[in-house]
Amino acid sequence: MADRQLHTLVTQLKSLPPSTPFPETSSLLSRAKLLLLQLSALTPSPSTPPQLLALARDVYEAGALASIRAKDSESFTRYVSQLTPFYELPSSVLPANNSERNKITGLRLLLLLTQGLYSEFHSELEQLSSSGFVVEQDKYLGYPIKLERWLMEGSYDRVWKAMKKGEVPCEEFGVFSEILTYQIRSEIASSSERAYPSLPLSSTKSLLFLDSEGAVIDFARSRGWVVKDGQIYFPTAQEAEAGEQQDFSQMVIENTLGYARQLETIV
Amino acid sequence: MPGKTPDKEPVENGGYRGGKPKPKGKKTAKEGDDEMTVVVPPSKKQSSAPPPNDADGDVAMDEAGDGEAKVDPVVQTVNDIKSNFALLDRAVALFDARFSLRALRSISSIRKRLTPDIVAKAISETYPASSPSAGAAKQLLAAIGRSDVALGRQPGTEMEVDSEPKAASPKNGSKKEVKEIIPEIDVFFGIVAQVLLHDTKQWQQGLEYSQALIERIQSLNRRTLDSLSAKVYFYYSLFAEQLAPQPPSPQSPVVSIRPTLLAALRTAVLRKDVDTQASVIVLLLRNYLLTSHISQADLLVSHTQFPENAANNQVARYLYYLGRVRAVQLRYTEAHEHLVAATRKAPSSACALGFSQTATKLLLVVELLMGDIPDRATFRQPTMEVALHPYFLLVQAVRVGNLEDFENIISQHAETFRRDGTYTLILRLRQNVIKTGIRMMSLSYSRISLRDICIRLHLGSEESAEYIVAKAIRDGVIEATLDREKGFMKSKEVGDVYATREPGEAFHERIRACLALHDESVKAMRFPMNQHRLELKNAQEAREREREMAKEIQEGDLDEDDLGGDFEGM
Repeated sequence: MADRQLHTLVTQLKSLPPSTPFPETSSLLSRAKLLLLQLSALTPSPSTPPQLLALARDVYEAGALASIRAKDSESFTRYVSQLTPFYELPSSVLPANNSERNKITGLRLLLLLTQGLYSEFHSELEQLSSSGFVVEQDKYLGYPIKLERWLMEGSYDRVWKAMKKGEVPCEEFGVFSEILTYQIRSEIASSSERAYPSLPLSSTKSLLFLDSEGAVIDFARSRGWVVKDGQIYFPTAQEAEAGEQQDFSQMVIENTLGYARQLETIV
Repeated sequence: MPGKTPDKEPVENGGYRGGKPKPKGKKTAKEGDDEMTVVVPPSKKQSSAPPPNDADGDVAMDEAGDGEAKVDPVVQTVNDIKSNFALLDRAVALFDARFSLRALRSISSIRKRLTPDIVAKAISETYPASSPSAGAAKQLLAAIGRSDVALGRQPGTEMEVDSEPKAASPKNGSKKEVKEIIPEIDVFFGIVAQVLLHDTKQWQQGLEYSQALIERIQSLNRRTLDSLSAKVYFYYSLFAEQLAPQPPSPQSPVVSIRPTLLAALRTAVLRKDVDTQASVIVLLLRNYLLTSHISQADLLVSHTQFPENAANNQVARYLYYLGRVRAVQLRYTEAHEHLVAATRKAPSSACALGFSQTATKLLLVVELLMGDIPDRATFRQPTMEVALHPYFLLVQAVRVGNLEDFENIISQHAETFRRDGTYTLILRLRQNVIKTGIRMMSLSYSRISLRDICIRLHLGSEESAEYIVAKAIRDGVIEATLDREKGFMKSKEVGDVYATREPGEAFHERIRACLALHDESVKAMRFPMNQHRLELKNAQEAREREREMAKEIQEGDLDEDDLGGDFEGM
C-alpha cells in the first residue's frame, strides 16, 4: 500500500519542473520520507527489496537537487550523507545510475570548493579516483576539478569563462556562480594589492570582472583603496619592522638558553 | 674443479672442511645438514647411504662423516617450532613480553620450511589426546586440512635435540602428558597455521580460521597473550585484503572486518594492551586507506592515541599512514614531518625494503608539493634507484619548471603513479611547476613581458599569466611588481638570505631534531628488572665491609696487601 503511494510520489517529484518553489517540493519530500520510514527503507539493509532501494535513492536525489536550487547547503549535505550508503551498494543489488550520481557528487565537490573546505574536497576526490572512475572525463565531475585546478594556479579568467552560461554542465551548477565570483574577486583584489603599485580605473574593471567603473569605485572603497585621478592606489602595508626585529632577537635568545639547558641535562 | 656451476657449493664446502682437520662436533653436523637440504632431497631414514652421484667424492665424504648426527629437516622444523615453547613458558613465568617476541621472530626463519604435514606432526606431538585444549588442537588440524591426524602421538627419538635436553626422551614424553599446555602455545600454533595458510594462498580458509582464533583470544583475556594476539589480528586483516572483491571495491571483506577490529581496539585500550592497540590502529588506518575513506581515517586518528611505547615497526607504519592522510588533506608540513620520521624509523634490513621505498616515494611527492626539491642523493641509493626512477624524472621537470615535460611524464608513468597511490597528489603539482617556472624567470630577467611568460610556460593567455603572476607575488613565491599598462613584470633585487631569520630557523630545526633523538634514545634504554635493588644490597654490603675494615685497620691487624685483595673482590 505504502509502496504504491511512494511510487506515485516519486513520479510526481520527478515530473516537477525545476522552477517549482521549494516549500512545495519539500512537502512532497517529507511525505515520501515518512513513507520510507514506514517501509523501513530510510537506510539500506540486506533485507530491503531492490525496487524500494531504487525508490529511496530517487527520493534523496530529488531532495538533494531541490535543496541546491533553494541554496540550502545544509539540507543538501544531509541528503548527500543519506545517499552515500546507497551508492556503496553493489550494482547487483541496486543498478547504478551513474549520471545522476555524478551530478550529485559534482555538486558536492563544488559546494566544498566554495566553502573553502579544500581538505574535504581532496579526500572526496581521492575516494572517487580510487573507485576506478576516470573523473576528469566526466562532465559533472570534471567541472569542479578543473575549477579547483585553475583556482589553485591562479587562472581566474578561465574560472570566469567556465561560469558563464552555456559552459556550466547543468543549471544546478550555476547556483554556485555567485559565490565563486565573489570568491575570485576577493582573491584577485588581495593579489593585486601586493602585485601592483597602482592601477588605472578603466582596466581594473576588466581585471575584477565588474560591469561599470562605478562598481569598481564601490569595490575599491569596500577594500579601503584610495582612488585618485583615475588611478587606484593601494595602501602600502608598512609593518612594524622594529617589532619584528625585536621578536627575532628574543627568539634567538630563547633558543640559545634552551640549548644551554638541554646540554646541561645531557652532560 | 667446476667453475660457476650450481654444484660448486658442496665442493667448496667439502674442500674447506677437508683442509682443516676439525673434529666432527655437533656444529659441523648441523652445517652438513643444512647443506644437505640444499643439495640432496631429504631422506627420512638416518642411514649413511651415499647419494647416487658417487663420482662426487667430496659430497660422499661429507655424508659419511656427518651421517650419524644428521637430523631430518622435517624433524628439525618440528623441533624448531617446539623450541619456542620454552620461550613462551618463560614469558608467562617471568611476565616478560620479550620472550614472546623472540618466539614470534623465529617464525620468519621457520616459515619457508613449513608444510601442513610438519605442522600437523608438531601439533600431534605436543597435544595429548586427553588434554583440555585438545579441542583447540583439533580445530588447528582442521584449519590446515589435516584433521585425520591423531593427537598425542609419541615424539620420536629425535626429541633429544629438543629445548629441554635434561630429560630423556621417554620421560620427556610422559612429562608432556601431565603438563598442561598453556594457551600461549595454542595461539602460537594458531599463528603458525595462519602463516601457513597465508603462504599457501588459502585466503578464505585463513579468514575463517582467524575469526575463530580471535574469538578464542578474546575469551582468554591473558596479558601474556598481548604480543601474540597483535600478530593474529595482523594476519586476520591480511586475509581479508586478499579475498575478492579486492579493495578499493566497497564490497570488499576489509569493510566487514572493521567492527571486529574496532572492538579489538576498544578492548586493547581498556586492558592497556599496547601491542594490540598499536597494531590494530595501524591495521584500521590501512583498512580505511585501502578504500580511500580519508575522513574516517582522520577521525580515527583524532579519536585515538597511539601508544608511545609501541614497537618501532608499528610506529613507522603508523607514521606512514598518518603522513598519507595529511598529504591528502593538504597539510603538507605535518605530512612531511611524519613521513620523514617514518623513513628514518623504517628498518634498514633488506626485508623491509618495500616499506622504505613506498614511504620515500610519498615523501618525495610531499616535498615537491611543499615547494622543496628533494636531495639528489636519495635517488642514488642502490636499493632505491630503479624504484624511484619515475619520481626522479618528475623532480627534474618540477625543478626546471617545464610544464610540457611534466605533463609528458605524468602521462607516461600514470600507471606507476596510480599503483603507488600518488597519482592524485602528483596532479596537484601542476601549480608548483608553474610557480617554479615563474621563479626561474624572475631570477633570470629583471624585466619580462607577460606575453613571454605566457609563451614560455605554455599558459593559455596573457590574462591568465597576469593573474598567475599576481598570485605568485602574493604567495611570496617571487619578489616582483606588475605593470598593467605596459604589460610586464619587474623583479625586485634579491635580498641576502643570511640577513633573514631563515638560517637561524634551519639551525634551530636541526638542533631540535638532535635533542629529540637524544631523548628518545635515553627513553629506549632498557634495564633488567629489580637490578637496582641488587645494587643497593651490594652497596650496603660494601659499606659494612668497609666499616669492618676500617675498624680492623684501626686495630692494626690488617696489612695493605689484604686490603687491595678485598677491594678487588668487590
